[in-house]
Amino acid sequence: MSAMSKPLSGAECEASSPQSAGPRQAAITASDLCIGYGDLSVIDNVSFRIDQREFVSLLGPSGCGKSTLLRAIAGLLTPTSGSLQLQNSANEVTDSKPRVGLMFQKPLLLPWRTTLENVLLPVEIELGGNRVSSIDEARAREVLSLVQLSSFEDAYPKQLSGGMQQRVALARALMSDPDLLLLDEPFGALDELTREMLNEELLEIWRSADTRLKTIVMVTHSIPEAVALSDRVFVFAARPAKLAEVVPVELEHPRDLESQAFAKSVSYVRRLIRSFS
Amino acid sequence: MKVPSSLTPLSFLAVTLLVWELAVRFLNVPAYLLPSPTAIIATVDSELFLHLAVTSGEALAGFFIASACAFLAALAFVRSPLLERGVFPLAIAIKTTPLVAIAPLLVLWMGTGWWSKITAAGLICFFPVLVNTIKGLKAADSKYFKLFSSFGASQRQAFRKLRIPFCLPYFFSALKISSSLAIVGAIVGEFVGATHGLGYVIMVSSSHLDTDILFSAIFAAAALGILLFQFIGWLEQRVIFWQTAETE
Ligand SMILES: Nc1ncnc2c1ncn2[C@@H]1O[C@H](COP(=O)(O)OP(=O)(O)O)[C@@H](O)[C@H]1O
Ligand SMILES: [Mg+2]
Repeated sequence: MSAMSKPLSGAECEASSPQSAGPRQAAITASDLCIGYGDLSVIDNVSFRIDQREFVSLLGPSGCGKSTLLRAIAGLLTPTSGSLQLQNSANEVTDSKPRVGLMFQKPLLLPWRTTLENVLLPVEIELGGNRVSSIDEARAREVLSLVQLSSFEDAYPKQLSGGMQQRVALARALMSDPDLLLLDEPFGALDELTREMLNEELLEIWRSADTRLKTIVMVTHSIPEAVALSDRVFVFAARPAKLAEVVPVELEHPRDLESQAFAKSVSYVRRLIRSFS
Repeated sequence: MKVPSSLTPLSFLAVTLLVWELAVRFLNVPAYLLPSPTAIIATVDSELFLHLAVTSGEALAGFFIASACAFLAALAFVRSPLLERGVFPLAIAIKTTPLVAIAPLLVLWMGTGWWSKITAAGLICFFPVLVNTIKGLKAADSKYFKLFSSFGASQRQAFRKLRIPFCLPYFFSALKISSSLAIVGAIVGEFVGATHGLGYVIMVSSSHLDTDILFSAIFAAAALGILLFQFIGWLEQRVIFWQTAETE
């Protein structure tokens, strides 16, 4: 059953995404997607399309299969049935797979590596035994400055705060210049203030023209976070997860988290989720 | 005022020796029961160092061979769960059999020379290193492996860049345990049948009631143990620089 898109009743703002002019290309297309672990069916017959440069949040009860869906999009899991297609920015479906950057709730840094070395890890792995070039190092410094960690490139993870560690993880995910950034509760373990700050930075990185970041899919437990960041919120019902509702958030960036419209959107999504559980 | 941390135990040792010396002198303790520290020190000669060298050689050889074998066995076990299920009980059997019970057999098979002692030291070292290394090789969070496969890493790369470094703290804490055990193993081997080594000196001097020599051999064994333990601790701090907390 494919989900219906319906405009957010609480938001009176007009569609305002900077990329809204012209037809959009798809980044992820799922049709009749089913995913499971053995006999356990986790994602049940889900269809959706996520556009290039779109920011989509996945909301739903714990254990409903959001991480599973993300892992399938990352190519770490094979769907049971249905199709899941990714397209890169050049719109080539065929040979070159889109580059995917992944980030989890835990920073998953290697404690014996400095910040710079941690960010260079994906490149090192890609190169096999070859040495990292100075171009790669320059790129690593570039992404570290994006997440405002330039002065910490020689620090070890244990010398960094939780928020800084997550920034390193974000920099590492950005290192490969991904078309698609997949975030699984990326700031869920951080305190409220750090979390809001990092959310703003993430938005800035996503919106800035010189990071060629195209599409973001983020799992979150926070309704305000989903409304603050995304173009659309996918609301899932409990397992086996069906895509219960797709809520477009038509608020202009930068979004005012104190505004009436924002509060209305949040309460709309909250009521929606309640109605499914 | 800052006092070097090694100074505290050293001054306690000095006080203990002094009290010991005075007690033996003024209470007229017979020398075959408890010789004075000065009498013990007087027995230290090149021959003692020769015996110390023999025991050190046996213990170290057993320690290195067993640690290397245990590490390789752990690698194999982690690769093949079938092998682990089949062979691991055997490793437990070796561990639970007291070394003193096996030592005579080792001497019977290998003679009174080096190899029976090296084997005894090795047998006692093997198990702690095996168990800890297996635990260490499984220590990395499964999320790390997901991350690595999202980078397109091969099994080999995940092994080298994840499993091995995450294993090192466990490996080193096992080395510290087995370094002390290795000396026990070598000395037990020497008890059963030897012509050299601290264990041999302990056996002979105790049967002759040469208690001063007995004590010097005991102290030599203790010093060897402490030295080896400290050395591994020093190495550990350099290799696992990112981890300060103990992972026992
Ligand atoms: N590797 C796995 N093997 C078997 N079952 C799993 C595995 N990972 C997750 N599951 C199950 O799939 C369901 C969805 O998990 P998950 O995708 O992590 O949910 P969410 O991220 O929405 O909290 C849960 O019931 C979980 O127990
Ligand atoms: Mg999850």
